[in-house]
Amino acid sequence: MGSGNWSTDVYDAATRYRAASGTGAFAYSDRVTNSAPRNSWRAHQSLDPHGLTVRESRDSAEHPTSLAISVLFDVTGSMGGVPRVLQTRLPDLFGLLLRKGYVEHPQILFGAVGDATCDRVPLQLGQFESDNRMDDDLGNILLEGGGGGQMTESYELALYAMARHTALDCHEKRGRRGYLFLIGDELPYGKVKAREVRDVLGEKIPRDIPVQEILAELQRKFHVFYILPAGTSYAGNREVLSAWRGLLGQNVIELDDLDAVCETIALTVGLGEEAIDLAQGLADLRDIGSAAVDSVARALR
Amino acid sequence: MHKLVVDLGFGDAGKGATVSHLCRTAGREVAAVVRFNGGAQAAHNVVTADGRHHTFAQFGAGTLHGVPTHLSRFTRVDPLALTAEADHLRSLGVPDPYALLSVDRRALLTTPYHAAANRLREQARGGARHGSCGMGVGETTAYALAHPENAPTAGDCADRPRLLRRLRLLRDRLTDELGPLPAPPVETCAEVYAAFARAVTLTDQRDFHRLVRRGPLVFEGAQGALLDEWHGFHPYTTWSTTTFDNAETLLAEAGAPDGALRIGVVRTYTTRHGPGPLVTEDPELVPLLPEPHNDHGRWQGAFRVGHFDAVAHRYAVEVCGGVDALAVTHLDAPTRSRGLRICRAYGIDGQLVEHLPAGPPGDLVRQAELTGRLLRARPALWDTPGRDPRRWSEAITALLGAPVLLESAGPARQTLRSAAAVAGPGPIG
Repeated sequence: MGSGNWSTDVYDAATRYRAASGTGAFAYSDRVTNSAPRNSWRAHQSLDPHGLTVRESRDSAEHPTSLAISVLFDVTGSMGGVPRVLQTRLPDLFGLLLRKGYVEHPQILFGAVGDATCDRVPLQLGQFESDNRMDDDLGNILLEGGGGGQMTESYELALYAMARHTALDCHEKRGRRGYLFLIGDELPYGKVKAREVRDVLGEKIPRDIPVQEILAELQRKFHVFYILPAGTSYAGNREVLSAWRGLLGQNVIELDDLDAVCETIALTVGLGEEAIDLAQGLADLRDIGSAAVDSVARALR
Repeated sequence: MHKLVVDLGFGDAGKGATVSHLCRTAGREVAAVVRFNGGAQAAHNVVTADGRHHTFAQFGAGTLHGVPTHLSRFTRVDPLALTAEADHLRSLGVPDPYALLSVDRRALLTTPYHAAANRLREQARGGARHGSCGMGVGETTAYALAHPENAPTAGDCADRPRLLRRLRLLRDRLTDELGPLPAPPVETCAEVYAAFARAVTLTDQRDFHRLVRRGPLVFEGAQGALLDEWHGFHPYTTWSTTTFDNAETLLAEAGAPDGALRIGVVRTYTTRHGPGPLVTEDPELVPLLPEPHNDHGRWQGAFRVGHFDAVAHRYAVEVCGGVDALAVTHLDAPTRSRGLRICRAYGIDGQLVEHLPAGPPGDLVRQAELTGRLLRARPALWDTPGRDPRRWSEAITALLGAPVLLESAGPARQTLRSAAAVAGPGPIG
């Protein structure tokens, strides 16, 4: 007796059961992109923004002080394996926020951004979730892998949807802004185009909206950050960086190690919530044995 | 005929190899291997003829022969450890291990909170450790006894709100008692448990009745009779009934009380993993009898080896209420280790003791007193049947009062053969 041979790690177990049920982390994506012609690709219905009313982050008896955190990433070809890496790091993000007490009741929404000028599925938005159900959303994201090759993606469309189609109790009840992280390597288009809003969201707006204008609207509800990770097509690109810095100022984070993305997000939220200072956050990462300490230190310093 | 397999020592006698053999020879006739005690801390090593090795913990030792496993209501289920084991089985060529597994909804759930509490308590005991495996199986039992209404069960895994409620209560109670537990958040655990509930078949009493009628079952005990919660040497015991009792209760509930063959398993020498009495212990045997699959456990302690302790094994037969047949493993050991002996009586406080009388279940004061005597005992009467394995089988038959129906030999690989010709009665099954 006394095996101890079999791991009892909860995150290992989650991955294993997922693998056993025949679903990889991006099961929907793998199924759609392997079995259907591109022109028939659609977002999973749980993530499809067409007819979107509102994505809500609400308080509940279990979670009386919810805090909305959104992570939207580029799923075009230029981002390579970023979404898949992010998926494997997900438990760390949630665990880190909770374990270290940076946020008591985080609610996390995942979304994906493509290019509305040429992609079949330019925008996907999950729900705010308080537990690992967000895993399901992430698992249903379609990794289209397209993109136009012109160093622009429809980030502005995502910003529009998040500005106009979310409702956050942290903001409405407590006047605290949520957090929104864009992870990508390209520029937004200059305007939210009324035609694309109609096509993608099925909604009529009277005119195009300049990206600065929709961003200002969004920033009433969210602290908005842009993370440019290494290993992507335009990593370190001055033009991309300076354009985002023009829009977001100091909220642009250059990250030299993709594996550090969850830690970076967790610490950014911890800093924003004034739960920690940077030294404390880095100490926490060391404490949990994170390999990302140096990258996060360089990114946030 | 149903077969019940129980270890007559402190565990590690060779239940896995015995069960595997019973499943292999009976082929498809065996409807299922039923586990009737213990939990994920079990470790039944099986090496197949083609060299595949697996340490069975929650899957039955017939799995590599395609025989399904049923985890009865007496087992403790740890879905986290279970999925790691399933992965290893898949790597050995079992295409869908979960499809081979059914779990009684009433089986208690062993969680990371139990394991963390188990380790904190064992650490606090310092030098007086019980030899726990550190996986929380005993803690699971203790919590269920204290809070029978709220202990999480396998069935709860399919009911998220109830599961969350029970997990939070469990975590909070243990935290109140012991301080912060190094364990993952409740929501994360609940998610994995839901995946477990989807992957395996959850069953109830009626399903078990059907299983009993479908075909013969092999009941695979965990640990050993000398570790039994009531009859073992307190406090060096496991919190589980390790005799035939649970298996017979399950059969009686299903309306099939009779006709089960009770098989006791012993090695040609006596071993113990962790602290507690081992009267015949002989450190000189350790290098002669290598143990490929039983390591020094971080929480459990050293793997200890002694000569065949006939006094202790006869006590095990008595507390089990007798056995119909024996499986004797490691019959190569006498050949490889010339000095291997059989201890027939102890000297305790100047008296010769051949027989340790079994007491009524529940009298832990009496059991602790017995433990005290055993810690003072030394082997007083012993001999050796020599190097011939057949002489060992005969001697063990005479000492334990039952025929040897299965024999195995080989240090790393158990090659069991039916020993009906040696023992006399016709082949089993």
